[in-house]
Amino acid sequence: MIDRSYKELLKLKRFPHTWCPGCGIGAVLKNVAISLRELGWNDRNTTVVSGIGCSGRMAGYMNLDAVHTPHGRALTAAEAIKTVRPDLNVVVLSGDGDLGAIGGNHLLHTSRRNPNITVFCNDNEIYGLTGGQAGPTTPKGTKTITSPRGEIFQPLRLGRILTTQAPYFYARTTVYHLNHFKACIREALFWKGFSFVDIISDCIELNGRRLGFKTAHQMFKWFDERFHIVEGVRDHLKDDELGIAKREVEAEVKAEMEVEKEPKVLIEGLKLFTLEELKHFDGTDGKPIYIGYKGKVYDISTSPLFQGEKRMRCHIAGKDLTRDIEIAPHGEDLVYHFPMVGKLKVKAEAEK
Amino acid sequence: MKQLVSGNEAIFQGAIRAGATYFAGYPITPASEILQQAAARAEEDPGFRFLQAEDEIAAAIATISASLAGAKSFTATSGPGFSLMQEALGWGHAVEAPCIFFNSMRVGPSTGMPTQPAQSDLLQIKGGSAGDYYPIAFYPNSVEESFRLMVTAFNAAEESLSPVIVLADALLSHLYEMADLDAIEVVVAPRTREPLGRGKRLFTGTAHDRMGNVKTNDPEAYRDWLNDLKERHLQVADKYPLFEYFPGKDPDTLLIAFGITSRIVAPLKERFSIFRPIRIYPVLEKELEKVTQPYRHIIVIEGNDGQYASWAECAISRKVMKVPCLGGGFKLKWIQSQIEERLKGR
Ligand SMILES: Cc1ncc(C[n+]2csc(CCOP(=O)(O)OP(=O)(O)O)c2C)c(N)n1
Ligand code: SF4
Ligand SMILES: [Mg+2]
Repeated sequence: MIDRSYKELLKLKRFPHTWCPGCGIGAVLKNVAISLRELGWNDRNTTVVSGIGCSGRMAGYMNLDAVHTPHGRALTAAEAIKTVRPDLNVVVLSGDGDLGAIGGNHLLHTSRRNPNITVFCNDNEIYGLTGGQAGPTTPKGTKTITSPRGEIFQPLRLGRILTTQAPYFYARTTVYHLNHFKACIREALFWKGFSFVDIISDCIELNGRRLGFKTAHQMFKWFDERFHIVEGVRDHLKDDELGIAKREVEAEVKAEMEVEKEPKVLIEGLKLFTLEELKHFDGTDGKPIYIGYKGKVYDISTSPLFQGEKRMRCHIAGKDLTRDIEIAPHGEDLVYHFPMVGKLKVKAEAEK
Repeated sequence: MKQLVSGNEAIFQGAIRAGATYFAGYPITPASEILQQAAARAEEDPGFRFLQAEDEIAAAIATISASLAGAKSFTATSGPGFSLMQEALGWGHAVEAPCIFFNSMRVGPSTGMPTQPAQSDLLQIKGGSAGDYYPIAFYPNSVEESFRLMVTAFNAAEESLSPVIVLADALLSHLYEMADLDAIEVVVAPRTREPLGRGKRLFTGTAHDRMGNVKTNDPEAYRDWLNDLKERHLQVADKYPLFEYFPGKDPDTLLIAFGITSRIVAPLKERFSIFRPIRIYPVLEKELEKVTQPYRHIIVIEGNDGQYASWAECAISRKVMKVPCLGGGFKLKWIQSQIEERLKGR
């Protein structure tokens, strides 16, 4: 049976929503809700923030405390909320114009300060709500009502701007590449620090039709022609690549390399794992899936969260997830349900 | 113990006494000391958080958002920054977020005279953001009163569920006076709103009904909401009808002065009656009407070209005379000569 419990996170009473049929925003809202639901993020531990625009209406449809800021100010609001309430998960749902143009200065500075918030940008490459004017991410040459002969300026390359200095997390995906899209959402939510998912999306009514597309699906096909998925984690993404570019702070990366190589057997029969060894147990080739948590190693092979989605499994498994689990409510209880198989030979993040 | 305290120190300490735990700001003379004190405070008190924002737009938005999140919050700036904060001021009223905007005025417009005092942002209290809103604003005239009024302002913010404005000027901000802030007793209002993470509420600047449901096409719901807001704000303002009145020898002439100007003209108390509004906005209409009634001549002395004077004229439906102290010039001798000139032959 299909799990529809994510609907509890939506204000269905307010439906029908304001968006046009075929608009990509619905897919963003739904898939973010699904991921939040899977992580157990709810009205007691999560606040959503939006700016202004068609995309900026998303927070208002979430069945959570929601903050709807003036145009462009979503990141600032989210950062302040996270500062005052580190216990809350803070998620920003907004548009390319809101985040990239009027909120551009905040994008530079909030990302620099690296608060632990997740941003989902419905990047329809246009100002939708105001009628289809060229926006900061409108590709050069695109005809819009304010660029009748084709946009003459270079678009803002969010991916390049947001990957100039570590730590960073920037993912580019589209509403059409659904599995990839879902994986990006989840990885971004797990990232500790500022994460930004640039979701190429369609504004069929006020952009697509003028460009000659008759249906949203035709626009999706166009996304498929323009972009391709690259596997694995990159330092940077090329402009036509969909994927994840991320880097930890230099110091943290170094600390991980300093672990010892020799595995030692503990008296209780529990194995002592180094991070290197832990990486080996990633669920591939029939191996079990181990994760590290607060200095201990757990076998989570039976978790439904890690079934099916191969990409997710490869990424999460075999890692010290102390920090990630701490941001997921009930994460700790979940972990303790799984058998402990050993101890980690690094100081757990939480104890540092 | 009494010690030398500056206006800006008193403002900051007042906020702390009121229970503030969040400050956001951007450097600007003559308000920067508040940002610096916030940075120092955050070092020693882990419960106090501060943000040096990229601009005053962000500082003001962060202040309001921190309030929604659950903190008592404040920001501090001067005229040009206050201009950038206008958007957030309107938003703060729409989402009903209690917090404090402190504006230490300097000569404008624009960059103006960065280190010279002025009182020329009165219209920015009320007129800078889109739409109708009913802010409350206080303006002290001493270091000790800066401290007290900051607490009062935080209380009024909680009661009215809105940003409250505290004004000062470059002179008052940098004025040092002997004061024992610890000995001052104040009443501190608790937080009124449940912090974030307690429900499914929508805090939005888009028009909404009383329940927070977006209503962009419903005049009736809008009127209900705005009337509620207005009534609440005026009621809270009524709780704080703060002013000072000194009757003088001259039975015909009343001077109106506030903030630092009231200190400068204080030596004229012997001769003239002086009215000092402390709650600058909403204008003290009833009080002005009553106090001004017996006087033939009313002279408003202020650090701008007649901003309070025009409010006073509206309130009492009478013409007043103006002595605008412009460009940072607040010399008593000059003010005195201006008063004589206005009164000549009357
Ligand atoms: C200060 C301000 N300026 C302009 C507007 C008008 N406005 C509303 S939405 C919008 C563009 C939103 O674009 P984007 O973030 O891309 O959202 P989309 O509608 O495309 O989803 C603009 C300019 C506004 N609401 N506030
Ligand atoms: S105008 Fe465009 S972005 Fe807005 S709802 Fe319609 S399709 Fe979506
Ligand atoms: Mg857009």
